[in-house]
Amino acid sequence: MLGLAVLVAVGSVVGLIAARDDLDRLHFLAPASVVSPVLVALAVVVREALDGRAIKALLVAAFFVVLNPILSQATARAQRVREHGDWRLTGEERR
Amino acid sequence: MTGWLVAAAAVLVLVLAVGIVASRGPLMRRVIALEVGGVLVTLALVLLAEGFDRDVYFDLAVVLGAMTFAASLVFVRFLERWL
Repeated sequence: MLGLAVLVAVGSVVGLIAARDDLDRLHFLAPASVVSPVLVALAVVVREALDGRAIKALLVAAFFVVLNPILSQATARAQRVREHGDWRLTGEERR
Repeated sequence: MTGWLVAAAAVLVLVLAVGIVASRGPLMRRVIALEVGGVLVTLALVLLAEGFDRDVYFDLAVVLGAMTFAASLVFVRFLERWL
């Protein structure tokens, strides 16, 4: 599980470096912040059973699982506002 | 050296790579790299806590996880409105 978590993180970083633009890059935030923490937390649970450490590791994973979509959305929105001045569709895009 | 510490070392190498991305290029790319870096550092702290068998490092990881999110959100809002 640990190896898989590290592999997923490696894939995310390679994607971050190799992606074409910033919105593509943003997609590679998700595997590193959802899959890897969950796998690490599960590895801690398997090793320690459900004690204080495991609960804290699960809490960290839960933070990222819940908060990552919010952060991704906010970042994408900021990118759009910087490019177009507003996050809503422009008249040209509506047509 | 346990598997936990090896995994932590691997993640810390990734943090270096992300740090290089975060230190050059356009602003949004840097912010995205910063977000990925925050996640990886938190992950490394969890791995180090388990590897060194230290309870207190888990507390650091929990706090860092929450603070990373808040810090990134503040950065993003500033980028959207003022920078």
